[in-house]
Amino acid sequence: MDELKRQEEELMDISEEDEAQKSKYMTFKSGNEYFGLKIQYVNEIIQIPSITAIPRTEEYIKGLINLRGKIIPVIDVRLRFKQEAFEYDDRTCIIVVMVEDVVVGLIVEQIADVIEIRDENILPPPKAGRSDRVDHKFVYGIARVGNSVKLLLDPDKLLNDEDFAAIEQTNNMISMKE
Amino acid sequence: MAEEFNTEGMLDIYLFENQQLLEQLQEIVLDQKDEDCFDEDSINEIFRTMHTIKGSSGIMMFDNITAVSHKLEDVFYFLREGHPTNVPHMELVEHVLSVEDFISSELEKIQNGDPADGDSSEIVAELDAFLTKIKGGDGKKKGKETEVSGNVHEEPTQFYIAPVATDDSRFYKIFITFSPDTEMANVHAYKTVYALKEIAEDLLYSPEDIISDESCAEPILQDGFKILLQTKSAKDEIKGIIGGGYEIERVDVFECKKEEFFQGFDFGAHSDQIDLESSVEDIEAKAAGKEAGAAEKKEDKPKMAPGDFVIQSKEPGKQKKLARDKPKAEKSSFISVNVNKMDQLMDLIGELVISESVVLQNPDLKVPGLNLDNFTKAAVQMSKISTDLQNVIMSMRMVPLTNTFQKMNRIVFDVSRKLGKDIEFEMVGEHTEVDKNIIEHISDPLMHMVRNAVDHGIETNEERAASGKTEKGKVTLSAKTEAGKVWISVEDNGKGLDREKILEKAKKQGLLEDGKPESAYSDKEVYQFITMAGFSTNEQVTEYSGRGVGMDVVVQNLQDVSGVLDIESTLGQGSVMSLKIPLTLAIINGIVVETGGASFVVEIGVIKEFVRVKEDMMIHEPNGEEYIMIRGECFPMLRLGEWYGMETEDYRQSVEDGMMLIIEVEDRKVCLLVDRLIGEQEIVVKPIPSYVKKVKGLSGCTQLGDGSIALILDPAGLM
Repeated sequence: MDELKRQEEELMDISEEDEAQKSKYMTFKSGNEYFGLKIQYVNEIIQIPSITAIPRTEEYIKGLINLRGKIIPVIDVRLRFKQEAFEYDDRTCIIVVMVEDVVVGLIVEQIADVIEIRDENILPPPKAGRSDRVDHKFVYGIARVGNSVKLLLDPDKLLNDEDFAAIEQTNNMISMKE
Repeated sequence: MAEEFNTEGMLDIYLFENQQLLEQLQEIVLDQKDEDCFDEDSINEIFRTMHTIKGSSGIMMFDNITAVSHKLEDVFYFLREGHPTNVPHMELVEHVLSVEDFISSELEKIQNGDPADGDSSEIVAELDAFLTKIKGGDGKKKGKETEVSGNVHEEPTQFYIAPVATDDSRFYKIFITFSPDTEMANVHAYKTVYALKEIAEDLLYSPEDIISDESCAEPILQDGFKILLQTKSAKDEIKGIIGGGYEIERVDVFECKKEEFFQGFDFGAHSDQIDLESSVEDIEAKAAGKEAGAAEKKEDKPKMAPGDFVIQSKEPGKQKKLARDKPKAEKSSFISVNVNKMDQLMDLIGELVISESVVLQNPDLKVPGLNLDNFTKAAVQMSKISTDLQNVIMSMRMVPLTNTFQKMNRIVFDVSRKLGKDIEFEMVGEHTEVDKNIIEHISDPLMHMVRNAVDHGIETNEERAASGKTEKGKVTLSAKTEAGKVWISVEDNGKGLDREKILEKAKKQGLLEDGKPESAYSDKEVYQFITMAGFSTNEQVTEYSGRGVGMDVVVQNLQDVSGVLDIESTLGQGSVMSLKIPLTLAIINGIVVETGGASFVVEIGVIKEFVRVKEDMMIHEPNGEEYIMIRGECFPMLRLGEWYGMETEDYRQSVEDGMMLIIEVEDRKVCLLVDRLIGEQEIVVKPIPSYVKKVKGLSGCTQLGDGSIALILDPAGLM
């Protein structure tokens, strides 16, 4: 796995040297949209194993899985976007991502492809009017690839964001008690 | 020449050893704080400790630590040699403790990778003043003072001036005499050689195997350390490089002729020319080759060359020999291991336990008609070994509570002096061993409790006299292991907790349940109020015994290690606060149960019994709560599936289909309804990934034999 990662990184380096304006994205389908995630966050892609549910937690945290002896939480991307739940089938995959040492599995409907996207093809998400839409804060850019459009995800926001605020809140409460 | 004087590996050892020395020191000091003066052994011990710290800090070049320890050593040198009679003992104790604090804090800085930049001048000045005071007030002993000054370094006063060499280069003979009680003189010598290499064109020294042969420290001490040096530098410069340092007693630098230089040492049959280009490894290799001849060499050495200015050791006191023997004898049976490695080993054994159950409970074995006799035999043997292995690694992680208790001793000492209370401190069972993780967690709670006992528990001297208590205020800290748990209790013979006042307070804060008469609260329940956050911060707290300062923190910390706090108290006679903590946290014996398709683990210790209940044993309250009557006792009932909102289709509604676990935590019992029992298993506790926020009633997760994950229930969280 490390070996693969290193190769990936090397690839990245080379492509960065060749053309600094290009990076690779892992794309997947969720709902009707295609989403993209920078490839350096992706550790691996696995098939869906049995998930141990954790009671009394956020709906989108589906539970824990055993990844070769390591226990990691998995979240359902659809539920995370406050979209409707979907049935897991054999196309359902888990993308294991690592963001700042936090390893989390993302349950997605269908893996699409690894593609290269040039920076000039990435546009910021439109701000006007629809800023109240919840899923917008996860999307930091919209990429044009041929005729289709991919929504580029900020993994940091995907995992943390409001949860972070909640954690900080509880931390504050604890420290106040002390 | 590029190699640095490498201190990396030495630093760890330095920190470790000196921290131990300081702990020992504190123990000695606190042990005798109530006496009139230190006894002779203690004075020697403190002197030696300071001396060792000074020596090693010198090597590591922490000048402020060296300076402070040197000063304190001076003071104790005077005490030892001068036998002054008028030493204010308390003041001395405080000085020693302040030095200890200073060094500890510096060591901590070093450990955190910060520079040891504490200002030693204040403490040095204080010690100087103190030393002058005890010296000055002791006229009769004046005669001794000259001897005392023996510990202070003298600059060499005599020079032999050799004719200047015609060449640009000059040749020197250097003789270094170390203080007779210097530890590891060979390392000091190497340090000097290393420093000289900077300016040297050619360098020769004797004994030459100073790096590899520790035993040459002795001859260096006795005969001095000799260096032949060819350099362009002037004599003063060389002296500057060799420097003073606390360990070097005398440096003599003689300039000599070229011919003399090439003659080597007058006795120098064994000296080795060292090529400056060669690396340390080469030098070491040469030294190793020389080791064979080391024995003869020793005999050679006393034949000093004429002109050798070696001064005989001044006072190789007998006590010092003791000092060197003692720690060595103790150390020989220990090795210090990096904690990370231990954790790694621990993790691996955890994995082993899991994979063991994967093998032994493998579904392949369930095929009917298999003859498994041999397999079962082998499996039993293997389980035995892995259990042994677990026990061994556990015992390796066990650390005695001694150090933690010593810290408490210090707190009692400090606080009681500040409050002007006369308090005796007793430790019982301080050698009880506890998992290292747990020690880290209980140190703070214990500190709170001990401080509370001294501050609020024990009355002032006047109050005690007024209430007719004749005995001294006493705080007892005790530890014991019982039934897989450690019990640590803090007992005081102070005024105890006042039930009425606590109840009053609780009522004001609205903590009492509606409709429950005050008399219905047991003493224990009442005392539990003081552990609630904010309960103690009220202004009236100090009027009763005032317990509760930080008590909520105590309880919180305890919960991290699954410990509980038990409070007993008798008004007017004192209180006992006990901590009950499991010996270890990493591997527990648990019962695996299943409910709503999910597996849960309950620690075996809290389960009182398993019962199957009939519907007619149930009591349904109108508000939906359920109780069960079992053998005339009424238990509240909790449906685990409902509690966690896991009513899937195979969840069983009827209590008759399920299994009831009676769980007892802190004298409270609850019945837990689960779908079925899976079995007993040793489980390795893993934390729930921090990404998932803490869920009430869950303390961790674990991997079961089939690779699936089970959640570990925290019974206290269910109540």
